[in-house]
Amino acid sequence: MRSLLSVLLVVFVAVVSAISTTGDRLLVILEDVADKASYSTFLGDLESRGFKIAFETPKSESLSLFHLGERAYDHVIFFPTKSKGLGPNLTPQILLQFINAKGNILLTLSSGTVAPTSFVSLLAELDIQLPVDRTGLVVDHFSYDSASAADLHDVLLLPAPENLRRDVKNFFGAAESDDEVIAFPRGVGAALGSGELLTPILRAPRTAYSYNPKEQAEVVDDLFGAGEQLALVSAFQGRNSARFTLVGSAEMLQDKWFDAKVKAVGGKSATVQTFNRKFAKQVSGWTFQEIGVVRVNWIEHHLNEAGASNESNPAIYRIKNDVAYTISLSEWSWSSWTAFKVPANDELQLEFSMLSPLHRLHLKLDPAQSSPEAAAYTVSFKAPDQHGIFNFKVNYKRPFLTNVEEKNTVSVRHMAHDEWPRSFVISGAWPWIAGIGATVTGWVAFCGLWMYSASPDKKLAIKKTQ
Amino acid sequence: MRFLQSFTSALLLAAAGTAHAASAWGFDDGAVSVSKKASDGSSKAKLSQKEPLSTPVSLGSTDALKITLTAKDNGKAKRPHQAFLVLREQDSGLEAPFPLTVKENGKAVVNINQKEIPVQLLVSPKPLQASIVIGSFGSAQGLNTHVFDLETTTDPNAPPPSYEKPLRYGKRDEIYHIFRADPRSPPKIISLFFALAVTATVPALFIGWIALGANANHLTKALGSSPLSHSLFFGSIVAMEFVFFLYYTTWNLFQVLPVIGIVGVVTILSGTKALSEVQSRRLAGER
Repeated sequence: MRSLLSVLLVVFVAVVSAISTTGDRLLVILEDVADKASYSTFLGDLESRGFKIAFETPKSESLSLFHLGERAYDHVIFFPTKSKGLGPNLTPQILLQFINAKGNILLTLSSGTVAPTSFVSLLAELDIQLPVDRTGLVVDHFSYDSASAADLHDVLLLPAPENLRRDVKNFFGAAESDDEVIAFPRGVGAALGSGELLTPILRAPRTAYSYNPKEQAEVVDDLFGAGEQLALVSAFQGRNSARFTLVGSAEMLQDKWFDAKVKAVGGKSATVQTFNRKFAKQVSGWTFQEIGVVRVNWIEHHLNEAGASNESNPAIYRIKNDVAYTISLSEWSWSSWTAFKVPANDELQLEFSMLSPLHRLHLKLDPAQSSPEAAAYTVSFKAPDQHGIFNFKVNYKRPFLTNVEEKNTVSVRHMAHDEWPRSFVISGAWPWIAGIGATVTGWVAFCGLWMYSASPDKKLAIKKTQ
Repeated sequence: MRFLQSFTSALLLAAAGTAHAASAWGFDDGAVSVSKKASDGSSKAKLSQKEPLSTPVSLGSTDALKITLTAKDNGKAKRPHQAFLVLREQDSGLEAPFPLTVKENGKAVVNINQKEIPVQLLVSPKPLQASIVIGSFGSAQGLNTHVFDLETTTDPNAPPPSYEKPLRYGKRDEIYHIFRADPRSPPKIISLFFALAVTATVPALFIGWIALGANANHLTKALGSSPLSHSLFFGSIVAMEFVFFLYYTTWNLFQVLPVIGIVGVVTILSGTKALSEVQSRRLAGER
């Protein structure tokens, strides 16, 4: 009985760990718990991936993100609420504290509702600007869904987001066929600051712009943002790897836009599929640390010289020693750890630094030490000719990947007095060695001469005294 | 009543929708002018929505660029919701939109000077692509057309605009430590020559001594009178040199010191005896 229970426990633990690397407690905040029906597919997908979902309204008194100083939830989703403020349980300070405690937040907005001040302050803290009146509507007169928004043009149809940069892995890539599009209905665009922690996931098309439907219905006099400046879905990852995602349109996560049929204006085919469901999975999976989580398994460094001891991770090296460094990395991908593969055009780099790096080298994949679950990256190099306290430092921070910052400290010592080349192999020392030899020979000969030499002028001296 | 109102508006909308099916936005009377502040000359060119101007428009640091046009929906002057002039940097694709002020009758105007153009675009080495984007609600097709190229010239007296790229996480340049150069020796032939020259002083010294009458005539006498102390004394001097030689080749200081101590004691004890024998010879007048 007990063994069965423990087996069950093991299975349970395995299931629990097969969700997110940071936990499975998910809080969903809605204006009205009954609203969850319209997001049932999205929430059902999350539940089927193993999240334990709790529902609350902002007004609820039992709502608390922390319990006894610890996070009560690992992840939070905010769906749009009508109230202007969010009450004392969700102040911007508490939300920031939640992010600082490595909690992940998925925040959705809608152009129909004014964003609560709590969110605006939080977004300002993260350097994300919303339109002036805390609401706005993104329209594009060039690519809209002509079936549902023939007149208002507020349902944007977007192709799958392209790679952000050439050296960044695309987690939000295309669906199976190129024809599929993302529908972005009645959403808010945000302007991102220039910080390195912010990354746009989905940008507005070049011809899209944001306006205030209440005040700028006739003419756009003051433009908040247009074109690719507008981020429709944007990501923030803190230095503690906590993730925050802003989705401009909550409606795109609703059931009716999952695998919906839309008609692109001027498009050839009559209707195209939306792949909102897959995109929602990618965005929520990234936010809740189901993808793009990098783990360091082990780090090893040793003296890489013939005949030297192959002790692992020694505390001291000598200048000009050949040193080999290996780091093993895994990446969590939905349900399992896989070998972390450095994206094309990117490099994993090792710095050997004392105050500033003296070496910065590319680590290369070592297939001999890699497995399907872990990839080992290695580099060997000659320690600099400068003694001191050095760090092996791997500082791998990339958009969409959790931060890897590993520092191992070693001493690098001088040459010992008996590690230098002998003087007789240095040709410049030969005259000096010859000088010592001459002095020694002369000294020994002089000693003998002084003690055993008879006076050559003995007869002369005797003659003189006589 | 309200129902009726909404019904009629819906009807109107539907009617408008059918009426404007397959209509398209465009513009007429488009013109771009650059007025110079310094010299009061100005240049003007007509814009066409069909093809861009063949020569780029030049905008100095104090000049003002003015674009006027009349937006038209299927040839009829009308106010669009979106009327932007978009400047685009050709390499990076960065864009800066400038909304045109549009009147009811479709007349639109925008004034731009260099201060309003973002610095990222100003530092571009290539001319900026200026396009007009006109679009509005309803079914009328929008217009997005390249109308001219804009060349910005900066004031040679003022410091050029500078732009620092924001920090982005990514791979950084490789660094290889530059090692200090190994110590070098002079050519071997020179070292060898001087080593030989130094060695040659030993035979020179011996020859000099012999020329002055150096000999070993008292050796038998000394060994005869005090054989033990003389052989130990001279032997300890040679042994001390041998200890130094071992120190140079293999031994360390802690091996050397006790041996030096032993040899030194032998030197002192045997030396007093041996040297007093030498003194006795000197006092005997034999030296």
